[in-house]
Amino acid sequence: MSKPLRSSVGASVPENLQITHTYVFFLIAAMQIGVGILSLERVVVQTTGYDGWISIFITGMVLHVVLWMMYHILADCKGDIVTANQLVFGKYIGGILSLAFSLYILVLTLNVLVSFIEIIRVWVFPSLNLWIFVAFMIALIYYFVVGGFRVITGLCLMSILIGLPILWLKFFPTQAGDTLEIYPIITHSLKEILQGSEVTLFSFLGMELLLIYYPFIKNPQASKKWAHYGVFFTTMIYVVSALAVFIYYSEEQIRQVTWPTISTWKIVQFPFIERFEFIGIAMWMFVIMPNICLGLWGSTRLAKRVFNINQTYVLVIACIVLYLFTGAINERMQIKVLSDYTGNVGMYVYLYIPVLFILMKIKGRWRKMIYE
Amino acid sequence: MTKWLDKLKRKEPLNESEETLEDLLKTLKKSGDFITYSLGGHPPCTISYIKTLSKSDYINDFVIKPLKNAKLHSLKEMENAITVENIEMTDELSIIKEKIMIGYALIQSDADNKQVLLIPATSFESRQVGTAEVEFSVVGPKEAFVESLHLNINLVRKRLPLPQLRIEEQKIGKVTNTRVATIFIDGIANPDNVQTVKQRLQDIEYDQIIDSSFITQMLADNSSSPFPQLLDTERPDRAVSTLVEGKIVIIVDGSPQALICPTTVVEFFSASDDYFLPWHLATVFRLIRLFAVLFSVLSTPLYVAILTFHHEMIPRELMATIVSSRSDIPFPPILEVIILELAIELLREAGARLPTKIGQTIGIVGGIVIGTAAVDAGLTSNVLLIIVALSALASFTTPVYQIGNTIRLIRFPFIIGAQLWGLVGIAMVMIFFMGHLIKLKSIGSPFFEPLYPLRIQDLKDAFIRLPFNIQFKRPMLTRSPDQSRVNTKRVKEKRDIDE
Repeated sequence: MSKPLRSSVGASVPENLQITHTYVFFLIAAMQIGVGILSLERVVVQTTGYDGWISIFITGMVLHVVLWMMYHILADCKGDIVTANQLVFGKYIGGILSLAFSLYILVLTLNVLVSFIEIIRVWVFPSLNLWIFVAFMIALIYYFVVGGFRVITGLCLMSILIGLPILWLKFFPTQAGDTLEIYPIITHSLKEILQGSEVTLFSFLGMELLLIYYPFIKNPQASKKWAHYGVFFTTMIYVVSALAVFIYYSEEQIRQVTWPTISTWKIVQFPFIERFEFIGIAMWMFVIMPNICLGLWGSTRLAKRVFNINQTYVLVIACIVLYLFTGAINERMQIKVLSDYTGNVGMYVYLYIPVLFILMKIKGRWRKMIYE
Repeated sequence: MTKWLDKLKRKEPLNESEETLEDLLKTLKKSGDFITYSLGGHPPCTISYIKTLSKSDYINDFVIKPLKNAKLHSLKEMENAITVENIEMTDELSIIKEKIMIGYALIQSDADNKQVLLIPATSFESRQVGTAEVEFSVVGPKEAFVESLHLNINLVRKRLPLPQLRIEEQKIGKVTNTRVATIFIDGIANPDNVQTVKQRLQDIEYDQIIDSSFITQMLADNSSSPFPQLLDTERPDRAVSTLVEGKIVIIVDGSPQALICPTTVVEFFSASDDYFLPWHLATVFRLIRLFAVLFSVLSTPLYVAILTFHHEMIPRELMATIVSSRSDIPFPPILEVIILELAIELLREAGARLPTKIGQTIGIVGGIVIGTAAVDAGLTSNVLLIIVALSALASFTTPVYQIGNTIRLIRFPFIIGAQLWGLVGIAMVMIFFMGHLIKLKSIGSPFFEPLYPLRIQDLKDAFIRLPFNIQFKRPMLTRSPDQSRVNTKRVKEKRDIDE
């Protein structure tokens, strides 16, 4: 028998706020697919060349293991990351770690917003009035996050339903290119391929939010399957997307193209519409919106859980911070530094999860021994 | 100071002015249509009723005649002598007041000065049941609700000969005391929903309920949303079919529209015709209607966005057409669009207020004369004229009038978004409305169902309509305690080969 945990405010969630377990699929996939995929191919080609798709696949597989660990951590502590941290590291160190996690998610959110606005400025409106545009975006995000987790889940679902048909457009470059281009397979060393995996991790970030919304799942055990489907779905989307781009562009070209996915949209042509990337970028808003909303929600919820304060206040502060930073970070170099930084921190977060997993297991074993 | 105190004391003057029966009669006597006269006899008795609410012939034939002919001494004897059912004997003022105000006749006797007889003699004067005009359908029943609650309930009841059909009446509105009936089928409707509806109806605090649309606005979960959250219908057949699905129907006395709840946003785009036609035809028509809605909302914003910001998107051949039609126009696209959209709204508004025949004329004059003149004068391009006219037409395809208004209104935020940030702006407004719909609830049930929460089972009668013989279950939306529409076992037996 396990000892009942000391739970703080918000550790258990009333049933009417919970979601059905199947939505975990959408939550995971929608959070992972964001701005990363737009530049994924370039990033991976720089280290691994045409074998990049193998790197992507490996990352996906590794993430399944991490997901499995996350579920074990959450099932053992019967709560979220805050409970887990408190259990393993004690109240103060655990609290600091949770806050660090919260900060990391806020930076991740900032990164998504900044990258998307950069794309809009490069492709659509070079002279965009940043401050006004961001103000409208943040107001919209605030409206959704205030609606709570159920509304954000709805957004995730809609983003998959509406955003993903855009990926069918990948069909056009495969028509124009030649499949023979990507042969021979595996021309790079294992080390290079693994390096490729490391850089692709950035596109997969977002799965770790499960550590926060786990108490909101009505039947967590049944959701496991759907979470794994979600990760697998993302991996497949990335692999197929990368292959389509590899078929169309030569290796050298991809290195030059900052956003290969958007560039391939340019090929699409219908009798009544050309330059499909405008529509694509506008529709991509549906894809990144749940990213930002869920990120902001998760980040502020952690603060609420650690300090036992009202989430609305934290949200207002987070929105202001997000607004100021998004307005201030507007040069290519700054954005690149931010992305690299986020990717690195994400790496550490994914290293931290196995550590937490092992510590939880040791602690559990230890406690069991004492009780017996 | 004292005046102010007096004001505070007399908070509800309507309810407290009559304390005795005499007071009540005195108040009533001030009106010309209140009739009270002595019938003579031993002991003498008086009859009083409101002429305009009661059936005078009926009172003469069935009340006054038997009383005159017989020698009666007490109210009890009179009650037996009068050949009318449901006579009430009471001394409670509130009941007397309530009954006399709906057309009952009141008999007082000097022998018994506390008790009175209340004889039902209400005249149900109302318009004849006519054909549905707003929700017209070519095939199927033509009847429509009228303004009488009595008649409306009759229209529902005769389609549902079922003892479980429950009709619960409430009186709402401090002054109008409007009778509001909540109708549902016991055992099919979810009791929680029924409870929610009744509770919300009870909580309404207002002095007048003139029409069911008052109730729509007061029952709404989010009253500042542009989307109606209760479906209104004038068709008894539609009301009945939703009752069978487990929904709740609210009928308001004096209103020819019944309200249906809980509802979803897709239901506003389904017409009764969809169920009268074979399922594939119905599906195609429904999809066309949904496409029309998208077209109506998005076409002019897209015009603004593409012509203002994204010329590159138009292929060369098409660009030539648009450029030649726009070459003489002195305005930017946004101004052009706003002028034309306002003109169409003007025509619609004028047409709606005018009598039918003049309305038609105005429509023709406005549509053809003003439109052609505007193009000739070089104020608008004819491409835009086509787009605006089509989108106005498309907005009228919605089977429910209320949602048509919403569609016309939400077009304007889209136009503004398009002018600000082109396609990105349109996407932003679209996300806003999508999130808004996800947030909305109708009597506590999700309004965006079956998309979110995603219920595959309910999709078979949402964007498409599948045949009846595979719709075994009631919609999950209503959370009906009795899910099954058919005897599944029997159906399975019948479905086998060569049976």
